[in-house]
Amino acid sequence: MKKNLITLIIAVVLLVIFALLLFTFQVRQSEVVVVSTFLKPTDTITNAGLYVKWPWPVQSINRFDQRVQTFADIPSETLTADSTMLLVNVFVGWKISDAKEFFPKFPGGSPLAAQRQLENMLRSAKAAVVGKHNLSDFVNSDPAQLKFAGIEKEIQNSVEAELAKNNYGISLEFLGIKKLGLPENVTQSVFDRMRAERTKFITEAQFKGEAEATKIKSAAERKAADVIYNAQAEATRIEGAGVAEAAKTLGVFQENPELAVFQLQLEALKNSLGQKSTLIFDERTPPFDLFKNLPAVNPGK
Amino acid sequence: MSDHDHHDHPYAPEAQDAGSQALAEALRSSFVIVKFAMVALVVIIFAAGFFTVNPGEKAVILRFGKPLGDGPKMLLSAGKLYWSFPYPIDEVVRIPIAEIQKITSSVGWYATTPEMELAGIEPPAGASLNPLIDGYVLTADRNIIHTRATVSYHIDDPRTAIFSFAAGTNHQFNLGGISNAVQDAANNALVATAARFAVDDILTRDQAGFRTAVRSHIEEITFREKLGVVIDQCDVQSVAPRQLKEVFAAVTTARQNHDKLINDALGEQNRILSQAGATASSVTNAAESARTRFVTGIQSDAEAFRALLPKYEGNPQLYAQLELTKVMAIVLTNVQDKIFLPQRADGKPRELRLMLNREPPQPKSAANP
Repeated sequence: MKKNLITLIIAVVLLVIFALLLFTFQVRQSEVVVVSTFLKPTDTITNAGLYVKWPWPVQSINRFDQRVQTFADIPSETLTADSTMLLVNVFVGWKISDAKEFFPKFPGGSPLAAQRQLENMLRSAKAAVVGKHNLSDFVNSDPAQLKFAGIEKEIQNSVEAELAKNNYGISLEFLGIKKLGLPENVTQSVFDRMRAERTKFITEAQFKGEAEATKIKSAAERKAADVIYNAQAEATRIEGAGVAEAAKTLGVFQENPELAVFQLQLEALKNSLGQKSTLIFDERTPPFDLFKNLPAVNPGK
Repeated sequence: MSDHDHHDHPYAPEAQDAGSQALAEALRSSFVIVKFAMVALVVIIFAAGFFTVNPGEKAVILRFGKPLGDGPKMLLSAGKLYWSFPYPIDEVVRIPIAEIQKITSSVGWYATTPEMELAGIEPPAGASLNPLIDGYVLTADRNIIHTRATVSYHIDDPRTAIFSFAAGTNHQFNLGGISNAVQDAANNALVATAARFAVDDILTRDQAGFRTAVRSHIEEITFREKLGVVIDQCDVQSVAPRQLKEVFAAVTTARQNHDKLINDALGEQNRILSQAGATASSVTNAAESARTRFVTGIQSDAEAFRALLPKYEGNPQLYAQLELTKVMAIVLTNVQDKIFLPQRADGKPRELRLMLNREPPQPKSAANP
């Protein structure tokens, strides 16, 4: 009896497992599942969890990754509005937005087939958008004229419109330019131009350097002359101020101008007859006038 | 029937009992083994469900494909022991968040190999660049340069990293999708930023500005596309095309010469202005000094005058003679040559002829510069 119970339990467990495998299926967080009844898509499940279904051949399921997938298209040459052959390569991030629409439109719901379809759309969209813009819209140091981001948006809008029109069940999450180039033979012309420009820069740098150096030096000399001239003017002003200040004291000498003049004469005499000078004098010059006024000497007395 | 059987095979029941017993014994043993194996299996399955999360890692348990917990609560961190049911009920997804991820955008770099990079060798430059092989970017002034960016980042939102971006079509949970998206962002940032910078700004004048702009562009894209990553570092390397290496080097030299000329001129400017400043200071200082001397001299003369005035007014004649005599004594002491010329007896003036010549200049020496 006990043996039979164990056997029964094992059988029930196996039966439950088999039934679960047959009647249930999981949807992972990153997935979207299309349930088909007699091969016709009847339901789309986007929320993760455990679900029930009728076993094959009544119902079957197809799983799709609903996360964003990225890829870059093949670079293609396109003519700009100003007839420049430009090589544009873009990358896109896309995802399945409506698996029920996506599934029947591509063989086996293949994401690679969807990418190929997207590449075709991108090629057309790039050609249409690039053809409307000049090269200066792609490369420009003036932010007001640069339309790089706008061009990316235009291409994205064009592809999105195409996707919506055909109801592919795909949404474009982002798009950007991966590479911007020129045809190989044009790169050589660009190098020739760049070489000529560099050579011009070299000559300019030499001449500019010499001219600027001369300018700096002459400006410095002029400024130095101004500084000295101003200093001399200031010195004159200072000396004038000194004379004016001294003039206030001169009133003292008015008390006796003769004495003042006499004092100045004495000072002048002292200052003028210094060392290395020769003085010629006679007996009228004091103190030698003493010789002149000597009392007569009478040796006989 | 049983009697007949018993009669035909007198030893059969004994033999059957022994066989049954042996079989029963064997079955009993087998059941014990099976039971033991089942218990062991249950224990192994239960024990295998335990797991830990490594430091710098987050984990998510998917039960029947759905994360356990909502929002940030679904993320399991290090420091605890967790348990999950075996697959296919539960699935543990691990996400390395602290590990620095790194991508290199070489969309603007020439074709090379890691071996050549390590050896510091550049591939030979052809006359032109094949856009399908050689990477480059177009600058705002329509020139061509090579530039590449190495971006280091870490995962800030692990849920976005694994549940929103896929790499390939195999339904795997990994960071490949995010890595591809960051790579695309870096490629786009290099091309778009170069398109608004002039070649000389990228290569020399504003390298830091270009690097900052590239980083900002990458950050803008990662934010806009909700990649859930944080950019830690963005190194940008830019070089002139190998085809123009020499001419670019010559421009650098010419610019250095230009700067040298300017610097020399600025040095000369400083010298001239400093000298002028010193001369100006000297002139004004001398004037100040002369002014002070003059004013002080006058003031001291005035004071002396006031002191002498009473003496002078007492006997002007005597005072004048005394003072003159004092001065003459000083003068005659200092004067080098003194010639006394007595008056002629007849009172007529004498005629004196002197030959005057200047003192010869002394030769210059260290003592007399």
